[in-house]
Amino acid sequence: MSDRVIVNQIRTLRFMAGEMSQAELGKRIGLTRQTVAAIEAGKYSPTLEAAFRIAEVFGKPLEEVFQWSRES
Amino acid sequence: MFGFSYIKSTLTYTKGPAMPHREKLAWMTLLLIAVTYGPYFVHVVLSPPTPGLLPNLPQLWLLALAAGGNGVLHILGRIALRVGAPEDARAPADERDHDIQRRSSMVAYYVMMVGMMVVGMVMPFTTSGWEIVNAGLLAIVLAEITQNGLAAWSYRRSAA
Repeated sequence: MSDRVIVNQIRTLRFMAGEMSQAELGKRIGLTRQTVAAIEAGKYSPTLEAAFRIAEVFGKPLEEVFQWSRES
Repeated sequence: MFGFSYIKSTLTYTKGPAMPHREKLAWMTLLLIAVTYGPYFVHVVLSPPTPGLLPNLPQLWLLALAAGGNGVLHILGRIALRVGAPEDARAPADERDHDIQRRSSMVAYYVMMVGMMVVGMVMPFTTSGWEIVNAGLLAIVLAEITQNGLAAWSYRRSAA
């Protein structure tokens, strides 16, 4: 098993985007707000396409939004 | 300044997202199965239908009551959920919904397959009449419980 987990900066990026709501982000990428919340909390890994869409909304490269890091 | 307002924003963010609409539907389906088919099968076990008495209208009436009651309550429940959270109900299923639906349906399919093999290929050699009907119904209900139970569990497991 991998000792790595996918972490993300969506909470920070939403804050920096004028406290964009999860519902608004979800609407822009075609996900429900509950799924956005699950991704943000690291409980659900989005498809590659959804990950690219999230990064596109914030105008960031994928690796600035999602990282594959070692479990602490 | 940025750090302070970010921490404040995070601390004041306490309200988690509401349960997804499709998870509510799964829980509602499980509840309705319990209150409609539950009493039906308890009755069947406690007082099995009289063999040879066909078409056994009292038994048919009970079955219609359970199935009809389940259908009517399901429609009312869906309306209530839609009125309670119209935006969530209108939202199309997303990739997580599809993923959960696909996995739960796949497992439920095998439950249904095993049930139907027993009902259609084994039971006709050993029994007949209402026992076969009730076993068929039980297989369908078990498949429904599997699908909705797995869906509800999957949503809970990946809830924020």
